[in-house]
Amino acid sequence: MALEAGLIAIGAGIAVGLAGLGAGIAEGPVGAAAVGAMAENEKLFGKGLVLMVIPETIVIFGLVMAILLWLNM
Amino acid sequence: MLLPEQMAKVLIVGSKDRLERTVDLLYESRVVHLVDFPPDKEGFTLGSPLPIASKTSERLLRLRAIEKDLDIKEPKVPEPLSAERIRKEIDAAIISLDSEILDVIGSKAKLEERLSELDQQKRDLQPLASLPLDLELYRDFRSLTVFVGHVRTDPSGVLQESLDQFEALTAQDGKLIAVFVQRSEANEAQRILMQYGFSEVSVPQGTGKPAEILNEIQKEESILRKSYEEVQVTLGRLREKHAAFVLASDEELGIEVEKAEMPLRAGATVHSFVIDAWVPGKNLDKLKEDFNAKLGDGVYIELLEVKNRKDAEEDAEEIGPEDVPTKASNPRPLNLFNHLVELVSTPRYNEIDPTSVISIFFPIFFGLMVGDVGYGIPFVILGFLGLRKCKSDEWRTISTALFFGGIFTLIFGFIFFGEALGMHFAPSPYGELTWSSLLGIELPHSIDLGLFSIPIGMFSKLHDVKILLYISVWIGIVHLFTAFGLGFANVAMRRGLKHAFLEKFTWILILTGGVFLLLLMVDALILGKPLIMTDLRMLAGAGLVIVGMAIGLKGEGAKVILELPGLMSNVVSYTRLTAIGMSKAGLALAFNSISIEMIAPGGGIMIVMAILVFIVGHLMIFILAIISAGLQGIRLQYVEFFMKFYEGGGSKFNPLMIRRKYTTEV
Repeated sequence: MALEAGLIAIGAGIAVGLAGLGAGIAEGPVGAAAVGAMAENEKLFGKGLVLMVIPETIVIFGLVMAILLWLNM
Repeated sequence: MLLPEQMAKVLIVGSKDRLERTVDLLYESRVVHLVDFPPDKEGFTLGSPLPIASKTSERLLRLRAIEKDLDIKEPKVPEPLSAERIRKEIDAAIISLDSEILDVIGSKAKLEERLSELDQQKRDLQPLASLPLDLELYRDFRSLTVFVGHVRTDPSGVLQESLDQFEALTAQDGKLIAVFVQRSEANEAQRILMQYGFSEVSVPQGTGKPAEILNEIQKEESILRKSYEEVQVTLGRLREKHAAFVLASDEELGIEVEKAEMPLRAGATVHSFVIDAWVPGKNLDKLKEDFNAKLGDGVYIELLEVKNRKDAEEDAEEIGPEDVPTKASNPRPLNLFNHLVELVSTPRYNEIDPTSVISIFFPIFFGLMVGDVGYGIPFVILGFLGLRKCKSDEWRTISTALFFGGIFTLIFGFIFFGEALGMHFAPSPYGELTWSSLLGIELPHSIDLGLFSIPIGMFSKLHDVKILLYISVWIGIVHLFTAFGLGFANVAMRRGLKHAFLEKFTWILILTGGVFLLLLMVDALILGKPLIMTDLRMLAGAGLVIVGMAIGLKGEGAKVILELPGLMSNVVSYTRLTAIGMSKAGLALAFNSISIEMIAPGGGIMIVMAILVFIVGHLMIFILAIISAGLQGIRLQYVEFFMKFYEGGGSKFNPLMIRRKYTTEV
């Protein structure tokens, strides 16, 4: 049982960790470009924010998976 | 409330002798959004500025020069002056100001010039002061060459060896040298000096000992500095005395110039003018009455059309978008959220203004994510102070979000989660630290009010994750249904029910089907019931999804298939409402237990440290709460919500009006 719980915990960790990494990799360039665009035209803040947070859903998927795993511990 | 105000396009026509009063009246009415008159319209020219324009501009120019001389920077706003008084006094005031300032500015400039001259002389003489020679002794020799300059080390020894005759004087530190050699040996001497890193110092004109001259200069300089300071003080006094008037006149003249140049945006013939404008439909009658009362029948306002939302769409499709300005028609408190929508884009004239909808959803989301009485109270206070004090749109928006978000944080924190600073009020069945265990009194689980009771804490953020996830998905579904509903209304208004049915109703069907499937999945995945393919929910859900997709394929084409997974991820995306609450609860739990454990063993310094950990920790969570809950709450509106129906790209209603800061008009 202890082994099983440990494996589940590791799995949950990987799920949320890698998903976070992926979201970060996706979000970085978008954020940089958004800041660049905003420097030219401040009105683009809203659009920049929207585009930037789109990849963020990836990490939520990871988190949900992690929570579902954790609930089975 | 949901739609921007209805706009009417009007044509204002009159004879030129009434133009000035028309302009005044237009600015006073504050409801006229001017449209630039097309420059190439046959039979018309563009209007020319009112006659006072050039004279006023000239005055403004002189005033700005005075402003610069006096170095008036935006101070705290002085008591506003009456515009009437300024108009009366401005001409005389500019002349008297000019003469009053002219002398001071003139002597200031003279002093500055002389001071910089002296500074230059000082810099020239400074190096020579360490040599004991008069200035005239450096020049006018027939048979000698003089080298004066800096060297790295004293070259006297080498000079001695190579030259027949020379005289060298060095300063005390040995770095400055004056060498007198015969003309014939000048080249040799220069070569040697170069090896010692010689760099020449030019000897200024004049006679006498440099040190004495320097002394004189310093004396003069200190006298000049004194008078310079006096001039500065005088200027400061003048600035103080006139700042309010100058700023007010600047504003008043600026306004006059703006008004005088307004006819440039109108059309004109030899004897008449034509102004194109948008006016909110409900203000039109009042505007007509005002014009009639003040200008009689000399100016005529013709209503061209009241723009209907559907026509606006047809026009946009046929001749490109005509900018009907958008004037939000929200009641005042909702207006505070307007900037949140503007951040993305101004709503179009023929689309639903989502301000009122997000002003409901955003605070609820924010409150759910934070859900803690201990953070809710400071949120409300900060937001309230911000709304009282802040002027800029950005800060007002943030304050609005904090205030209303804070109210919902309080409500959810009390009823839903029953906790403050990460600790529940009532005793916990999981044996956690609670306010009850901390204070040693038993706080109740609910407040009984006879007919009904208000629960204090229905869920624990860390222990009831399953149900909270489930709730957040349902909130997401409600949000998405609202979005599709608004989208349906938008399309129906613009292009009729048929289009709305094909484009948006499909998604309502698919989402409904998805809801049935979700119910089934929750049973199977979380409650562990067996998955039966012939379950009613399965059949209904799958059926609705397929029917929706079929209609969608007909209406919108294959992109429906591509967007289907997107809808699923949208729904899952709302689980962040729970996730963020969880993360905050986790952090708070960690800080609370650290500080309690620090207090437990020994008193003294540890108690102080524990309190420090507690304060710093919760401050951190508090700031994180603003950033994460605020940003995520807004994101759910912008991405999941707006993308279902919102187009934006309208132009904002920007009526002719005067904004005064330093002046008042009675």
